[in-house]
Amino acid sequence: MGAEIAALMGFFGITGAFALIGTVLAGWMAWRIVEKAGLPGWTGLGSILLSLTAIGAIVPLILLWIFAYMRWPRDEPAPAAPGYAPSAGSGPSPSPRPAGPAALPPPPAALADGRGWRLAGPLGNGGTVSLSVVGGSAAYVLTSTAAAGPGELIVPDSSVGQPHARLMTAGSRLGLEDLGSPGGTYIDGARLLPEHGPRDISAARVIRLGSVELALTRA
Amino acid sequence: MSDPVSWLLGLSAFLLFSIVIGHVLVALLLIVPTWRICQRAGFSGALALFHLVPVIGPFIVMGVLAFSDWPNGEAGAQRAPAGR
Repeated sequence: MGAEIAALMGFFGITGAFALIGTVLAGWMAWRIVEKAGLPGWTGLGSILLSLTAIGAIVPLILLWIFAYMRWPRDEPAPAAPGYAPSAGSGPSPSPRPAGPAALPPPPAALADGRGWRLAGPLGNGGTVSLSVVGGSAAYVLTSTAAAGPGELIVPDSSVGQPHARLMTAGSRLGLEDLGSPGGTYIDGARLLPEHGPRDISAARVIRLGSVELALTRA
Repeated sequence: MSDPVSWLLGLSAFLLFSIVIGHVLVALLLIVPTWRICQRAGFSGALALFHLVPVIGPFIVMGVLAFSDWPNGEAGAQRAPAGR
């Protein structure tokens, strides 16, 4: 009888040791994951430790769902560049965004810069595309649809969404906002997400819409 | 009364089936939110399917999310798409 008890104790000892190691490891990883999302690390560790309490696994499971669908601090829009006010009604908006700071007028002493912008590059079918964006204050929707309406710029490629992104001009600056197309939008190789809102691309060199790379130059 | 051996075999098969179905249902509760977390981090959502692996599956997913750089950027080191 003593041998059986000793064997049982050994079994539960090993099981307990694995459970302890697993809990510590899970807590550590949860700490790192929530920190990468911009939340304090102790929230991740706490949710793992909750599974040790009488609440069981239900509350951590609920917290996992909340974490997946909540707004992460990482995705909070950075302070918007002055001069950009997302245009209303010139295309679908993927998600409601809190109102940013009001657009500032250009400095009174600034010289007017009437130059526009040019986006040009090869298409996947061997052709090329060249888009001209006039300066001033306007918004354009980049799309692959064949029948372009007013304010739409066509990039005829299957990897480009309908619509794909929005271009905004404000004075001598150019902004770009991703509209959530699956092909993705990249600024000099860095992914632009809809959560990032409009970004200043005045100094960018290459814009990628899906698989189409467009060189950005001043017209 | 049928053969007790076949009765036991049927019972064990039923138990095994119940365990597998229960495991898949619990895994689904984990896969759906993890799929979205992986996508927001920039990984393929299919990474969440590791939850179907018993015992070590969730640790694999958490390990990838915790110890690798997120393609879509991380808090602090993020702002890459706009940072200039």
